Amino acid sequence: MEYKNETVSIQGGWPLEHWQWKFESLDLIRKTLEGLKEKKLLALKCRNCGLVYFLPKPYCRCLSIPDQWVEIKDTGTITTYTFTGAWAYEGIQEEGPSGTPMIIAGVVYDGSDTMTVCTLDEAKPEEVSVGMRVQLKWPDEPQGRLDDIAHCVPI
Amino acid sequence: MDKEVAIIAYAQTPYEADANASREMQVLQVAKAALEAAGLKRDELDTVITANNDYLDGRTISNMRLVEPSGAWRKNESKVEMDGAYAVLYALMRILSGDHGIAMVVGESQASVYAGYVPGTMMLDPTFDRQRGLLNEVSAAALQARAYMHASGVTEEQIAGVAAKNLGNAAKNPLALRSDAGADAAKVLASRMLYSPIRELMTSALCDGACAIILASGKAATKAEKPVWIKGVGFSHDSYLTERSLSRLTSLKDAASRCYSMAGIENPASQIDLAEVHECFAHEELMAYEALGFCPEGEGGAFFDSGATRIDGSLPVNASGGAMCANVVCAAGMARIIEASMQIRGEAGERQVEGVKTALAHGQTGICAQENIVFVLGGE
Amino acid sequence: MAKNEVAVVGVGLSKHVSKRRDVNIAELVWEAVSACYEDAGLKPKDIDAFVTGNMPAFEGVNLPEEWGAGHWGAYGKPLLRITTGGTTGGSVAHGGYYAVASGLCDTVMAVAFEKQSDGNSTAGLNTVAIADAAAQFALGVDPGFLAAFGGGAVGVAVYQASSYMKSSGCTTHHLDKVAALCRNNAALNPYSHLKQPGLTPEDVAKTVLMQYPIRFGHVCPATDGACAMIFTTGEKARKLTDKPAYVLSVASCSDEAAMVGIAGSGTTNVDPCAQESCKIAAAKAYELAGIKDPRREIDLAEPYAPFAHQLLMFYERLLLCDEGEAPSVLDSGSMNLDGELPVCPSGGVISTNAIGASAMERVAECALQIMGKCGERQVKKEVHKAVAHGWGGAVNLNVVAVLSDTPRR
Repeated sequence: MEYKNETVSIQGGWPLEHWQWKFESLDLIRKTLEGLKEKKLLALKCRNCGLVYFLPKPYCRCLSIPDQWVEIKDTGTITTYTFTGAWAYEGIQEEGPSGTPMIIAGVVYDGSDTMTVCTLDEAKPEEVSVGMRVQLKWPDEPQGRLDDIAHCVPI
Repeated sequence: MDKEVAIIAYAQTPYEADANASREMQVLQVAKAALEAAGLKRDELDTVITANNDYLDGRTISNMRLVEPSGAWRKNESKVEMDGAYAVLYALMRILSGDHGIAMVVGESQASVYAGYVPGTMMLDPTFDRQRGLLNEVSAAALQARAYMHASGVTEEQIAGVAAKNLGNAAKNPLALRSDAGADAAKVLASRMLYSPIRELMTSALCDGACAIILASGKAATKAEKPVWIKGVGFSHDSYLTERSLSRLTSLKDAASRCYSMAGIENPASQIDLAEVHECFAHEELMAYEALGFCPEGEGGAFFDSGATRIDGSLPVNASGGAMCANVVCAAGMARIIEASMQIRGEAGERQVEGVKTALAHGQTGICAQENIVFVLGGE
Repeated sequence: MAKNEVAVVGVGLSKHVSKRRDVNIAELVWEAVSACYEDAGLKPKDIDAFVTGNMPAFEGVNLPEEWGAGHWGAYGKPLLRITTGGTTGGSVAHGGYYAVASGLCDTVMAVAFEKQSDGNSTAGLNTVAIADAAAQFALGVDPGFLAAFGGGAVGVAVYQASSYMKSSGCTTHHLDKVAALCRNNAALNPYSHLKQPGLTPEDVAKTVLMQYPIRFGHVCPATDGACAMIFTTGEKARKLTDKPAYVLSVASCSDEAAMVGIAGSGTTNVDPCAQESCKIAAAKAYELAGIKDPRREIDLAEPYAPFAHQLLMFYERLLLCDEGEAPSVLDSGSMNLDGELPVCPSGGVISTNAIGASAMERVAECALQIMGKCGERQVKKEVHKAVAHGWGGAVNLNVVAVLSDTPRR
């Protein structure tokens, strides 16, 4: 088919600022955040199938509602990772702390069955691997924010 | 169709203006309740179909987060982005193909989450109608209502009467959001004018909620208690609202004739005992009487006046209160199917109509009921 | 056993480029639809029903078939809209299969499309997570930190790629080779978007690194395009054409969303390259198709691979070789157009990605190869059975279809 001359194009849009979502997970995560102030990792366990969710999840894949709070360890295993050096994408420039590449890893903490994402500090990109053991790097004074658990280091 | 696929269980949430639960949790509740009602475990489901709309849910791939709550984890799952009655249709197709035995269908929307009629305006043709800002779901329905009133000689009182009938029926439906046992046409006509002739109480009650329906193939269904058999289904798609006559629901008429020929229905007014119609606006119920062949074309108003469609009439329509009492956009058609099933099974409590053997349920999608689907259901 | 045998008798594709400013959505789709009618020798009146879908966030319009479908011959016809994100095209094709297999319809047109230039694709993709991101901001996460996790469209794929490379021994050189293989195939396909004849792995290795290990050359483009297919009963198909492509089976499987749990919750889908749901869907599809040994019985594969590593990863997850073996299969030349089991002869999603249409275009390519209608890119071997795949969601949805030149049983 032959190309015609360019016509006027009207862009579609989606005014998402008018949507107001609801989450049960926010209430659950607030409890976990309280625990962070005491350097405790509070996870939610499903009594039906035994899966432990960290961060807590309001429903389980077995169609039950997890409701048992358990404390899990602050050591874990990397299940997936990436890193970004001078990362450029659509005009966004990202650089890691102090100019070194930032390593981002999916970590399953011991005692839980789920992955959360944090940065792996004090390691070089060539050292990171799936299955690597890591330790959560607590801030000196956790503030009860998700940022408190945003960093881990190799064991 | 003769005893090929049956509805064996269902569940619905109460309908609320602002539910104290996320869509995921509402879906989990109904999916679990439906499985319990069917005496089935999650493992026994072969396929799961969800009905939801990205624009209503405010997220792309809106089915993605419903995988676990709908019981679809590591199962054959798909999503219909239309009214839930179409999701029931897709589940039906999947079972009829022979590849699946038991299907879970889930539909949900939360009006408290999405921005009023914004998702509706995003259905408009983006080049002209969306830019001009004249049309939205309500103003378009007003144009449809006027065209219909002119064509069939229907009055505003008759349209208000439909709304009053459904709000009155809803008083006996414990799940209803909006109901009024003492409603009459005058009360409806005294409600706020939106776009003439549409008044507030002539519009459906957009709200939060979820429905689940479990379908089973003939073999699996015969083991179930009181299966409700799908006897026929028909669906059709009409032209865009500015490209067709708004005075008739042509695609509903087409859908009904396809459905009736499958279900062996020649005289719907006498062969159908009860109908649940998805009326987004009150006048659409009158239009549906004509399109569904309950009365001759042009006589919707007179048919209503005869009292036939009242809950004590010869062909009760919307005994549940219809969409006037609660309209969960992507589950409304499923609510119609569930009510028809409850009436057939004799589970409708105070609003139970005696002797319902064959019932009709209708669902619609799009502005001015552009797309329509009709099911005929029957008991043993 | 399905009630009706199902066969593909027509395939139509639009021209695929990054910005089709000369047509609107309905007109773009018409190119594919009209080509499909012509290919099948059918007219709109011969179609009993339509199945359609796209990923509406990309166009910024809700239910575009409301005003578009009249352009395709769908008015006054039954129509079903199925949308499942990246797998949409595959899900729509599955809808076409089920509509015919169920016996409810005889001849069905399936239509899938995306006109990404009407909207903002990265913004469209971000709407996947925007609701959840909003929740995380409320809980105290630095927006820049969150952006680094997401990273636009490449976000989740980089985790998957590094995990896959670690577990399989796939190197960045293999990624370069995959890109070169696909873009060279695409050069022979008149409906592909990125045509790069003569592209070498070395050329790919010189493209800019977006985020480890993904280079610009390893990533799909954003495309405007549409695909249409006509499904009908085996009986009707044999009257229409000497060589229909039978759909032996379809299957899908949905896992828990990977990487992004609900509003910040953890997810049990801990390794985005495991793709258990792809293995489950593939095994089910082969079982329904009566295929016992896919490695021997499948002649051609169209895995859904917008990122280079996914071609290898999904080759494994479609059970076409052992896990970790795909890189050496690539090295052996078996995946080439003249190889033992050609992969992505169309050029694949890495060369052409009109999101909503992409998963259907995999099914379409399998059908065209079986029907022998692929012209310059027709594979050397005779294709008896082919597998088409689609992938999407948050790395958690997979759809699989098996096509053949002979009907089931």
